[in-house]
Amino acid sequence: MDILFLLIPLSVALVFFILGALWWAVHRGQFEDIEAEGERILRND
Amino acid sequence: MQVKQWLGPIAYLRNMTSVNLAQDLPLTLPEHKADDRLTLLDDPQEWASFSQNEAGQPGCWASSVVFEGMHCAACAISIEEALRSVPGVKSVQVSAASHRGRIVWSEQETRPSQWMQASAMAGYKALPANDAHAHERRRQQARRMVWRVAVAGLCMMQVMMYATPAYVAEPGDITPDMVHLLRWASWVLSLPVILFSCTPFFSAAWQDLKHRRIGMDLPVAIGMLGTFVVSSLGTFEPQGPFGAEVYFDSLTMFVFFLLMGRWMELRMRDRTAGALEAVLNRLPDSVRRRSADDSWERVSIRQLRAGDVVEVLPGEAFPGDGTVLTGQTQVDEALLTGESIPLNRQAGDAVIAGSHNLSGRVELRVEQVGAATRYAQIVALMESASVHKPAMAELADRMAKPFLIGVLLASAAAAIAWWPQGPGHAVMVAVAVLVVTCPCALSLATPAAMLAAAGALARSGVLVRRLQALQSLAEVDTVVFDKTGTLTLDSFSVSALHVRTGVTHGDVWHWAERMAMHSLHPVSRAIAAEARQRRLQQGQGGDAQALPAGWVLTEHPGQGLSVHWPASDGFQRVLRWGSATFCDAPNGPRERLQVSLADEQGWMATFELQETLRPEAIHVVTALSQQGLSVKVLSGDAPGAVELVARSLGIDDFRGGCSPQDKLAALQAMQKQGHRVAMVGDGLNDGPVLAGADVSFALGQAVALTQSQADMVLMSGRLDLLEHTLVRSRQTLRVVRQNLIWSVLYNAACVPLALMGWLPAWAAGLGMALSSLLVVLNALRLSASLGRNS
Repeated sequence: MDILFLLIPLSVALVFFILGALWWAVHRGQFEDIEAEGERILRND
Repeated sequence: MQVKQWLGPIAYLRNMTSVNLAQDLPLTLPEHKADDRLTLLDDPQEWASFSQNEAGQPGCWASSVVFEGMHCAACAISIEEALRSVPGVKSVQVSAASHRGRIVWSEQETRPSQWMQASAMAGYKALPANDAHAHERRRQQARRMVWRVAVAGLCMMQVMMYATPAYVAEPGDITPDMVHLLRWASWVLSLPVILFSCTPFFSAAWQDLKHRRIGMDLPVAIGMLGTFVVSSLGTFEPQGPFGAEVYFDSLTMFVFFLLMGRWMELRMRDRTAGALEAVLNRLPDSVRRRSADDSWERVSIRQLRAGDVVEVLPGEAFPGDGTVLTGQTQVDEALLTGESIPLNRQAGDAVIAGSHNLSGRVELRVEQVGAATRYAQIVALMESASVHKPAMAELADRMAKPFLIGVLLASAAAAIAWWPQGPGHAVMVAVAVLVVTCPCALSLATPAAMLAAAGALARSGVLVRRLQALQSLAEVDTVVFDKTGTLTLDSFSVSALHVRTGVTHGDVWHWAERMAMHSLHPVSRAIAAEARQRRLQQGQGGDAQALPAGWVLTEHPGQGLSVHWPASDGFQRVLRWGSATFCDAPNGPRERLQVSLADEQGWMATFELQETLRPEAIHVVTALSQQGLSVKVLSGDAPGAVELVARSLGIDDFRGGCSPQDKLAALQAMQKQGHRVAMVGDGLNDGPVLAGADVSFALGQAVALTQSQADMVLMSGRLDLLEHTLVRSRQTLRVVRQNLIWSVLYNAACVPLALMGWLPAWAAGLGMALSSLLVVLNALRLSASLGRNS
């Protein structure tokens, strides 16, 4: 069970890593026009 | 960032006058220059972009602004108080639902910078509303919100994982070290939530405290802070007075739920505000104008004057009301009149500012610019309607403050009562009380529904001038129509044709057209048009010929026309066209509109005419009667003509020959009997009658919108929208009632539960978020397009 003492801090670090990825996605505007991607298949270009 | 945000509106204005000042300004103005930035708006050129001259008060301007940092009805009240205290500000209306405000101020006593400063001091930045900048600002706001929700959501999930062992493990299963580690991890992941995700609640609560008032975020913020402090103490000082219990899972969860609710609200509000803005920002910044030497130059729309000739390419919006000189195109007027089909426009046709040129290049002569355009009038109406507070909303606003004070007191009482059971538990009960109460549902209940309905109506071409009118309309039981221009079009059609024996209809039509085309009388024009129509249907094309040489036309004022010419057999032939006496017509019912034709042998034919009914009128009248409303006609026209129209529509209750005073008296008599009356008129000459009715409609094609007294304007002139509007108003009132009942029931049920300690904090957060969301979602049902679910 000692491994938990490593895994739990690691999971905290992982959360911060995922938050970083989310920050990037949000600030690239990926959540601003959610419908557009779905509709893209209907467009010609 | 701050500076850029502030430069937004100004840079936008500068762009419009084709001087790009924004690029020349340093991007980092020192903070104490805030006032200078505001004073830029004191230039009359600048304030004119978001203000209009207030009608009836010379030297007074009505400005539209958007407020930043507003959350609730209490904010609206404090902004109003702050602005009213500025000398020179005549009136202030702020809408909590749309975050917009309308400020009337006198140019002799104050400047925009002064009252904007006052608003900023109260904690709310005021931004000019009429700019593209508002959109960018909203995008930023939405992005920050998504990010806050994401942080809270992710941390919540992980904190929940760390909390699970404590819930499922039997005592002694986990070592104290491990428990401590899990708490530490929870604490670390709660930090971003409390420090970042919660900031909107904290900053709003801080603003409230600083200004010694009470807002809806104050209880929530106290709850968040309380939970965090108690849980942190539990983590680091398990032997302290608050015990070893931690509530990080509850904290992150209710923060996430509350933010989720806020975010949904924001998205929905942006949708309605976006629709409004789409209308507001339809004019182009600059246009290509023909200059004196016949070359084209690009000028700012503000330099455009009536009489200028401009070029509009496909895809562009028309900069002003005008007439097409050359070219042919289709235009889209959907946002302005609700007319969804593209309309053909060619040389000589009128186009309106803000409509879109779809297919071809046209040149047009501009006739109205700026505030004189129909577009500007529509925008002004929509803006004033969106800040108007319905009576039910005002009531809810007044209730919000005592309610909040009650909540704070109740939670304090709960904490004291539960203290002996353990301080940690007592604080959490108090937190649940603070978080679960939902005054926002109460204050959103009415305006959210009415704004959603007004938005849907506006998209279909029904302008609502006062939101209150929606409520009045839902209670109406009598609809009174004016006749001319309302039930009927301004044209006539032939209802019967009587001829002398031995004369064919074909001959009569042939001669009638030749005579009628020489008269400008509306009856003659109607007959000429109908005759031409018949000819085209029978395959005889071409225009009627002018009179051949030798034919002499004589006018007999007040009676008619005559033509005489030498016929081939040497006789003099004569045709007469006009009134019955002029043509020696046999006696018939004289009260009907008629015109006769005679030749040298005497009377030949009589056309009986009636006013053309609006094609949808009969359907509307039937539909209204089916809904249990009594339909009446009051008209100033001759009783006979009124009877004819009323009978053909199946209306039994009609009165003709009414002066406006008679109409008003009749209306008041109905109201005295307890009826709620809606009046439908053309809005031109029945102002007092419209004002006297409980709700009034004007058919808005020919009306100067700002002068019209009507509560609602049917912009496309389609009468069938009346029925849809009525249905929608009833739905609106139903939704408002549901919302109010829900928020009262919710609060009445949840507060006692929380006080008893049966409601954990996370459930309280979920409850509050769901409750506001339910109210807004319920309101949003009203924004469906008109006629779809009626």
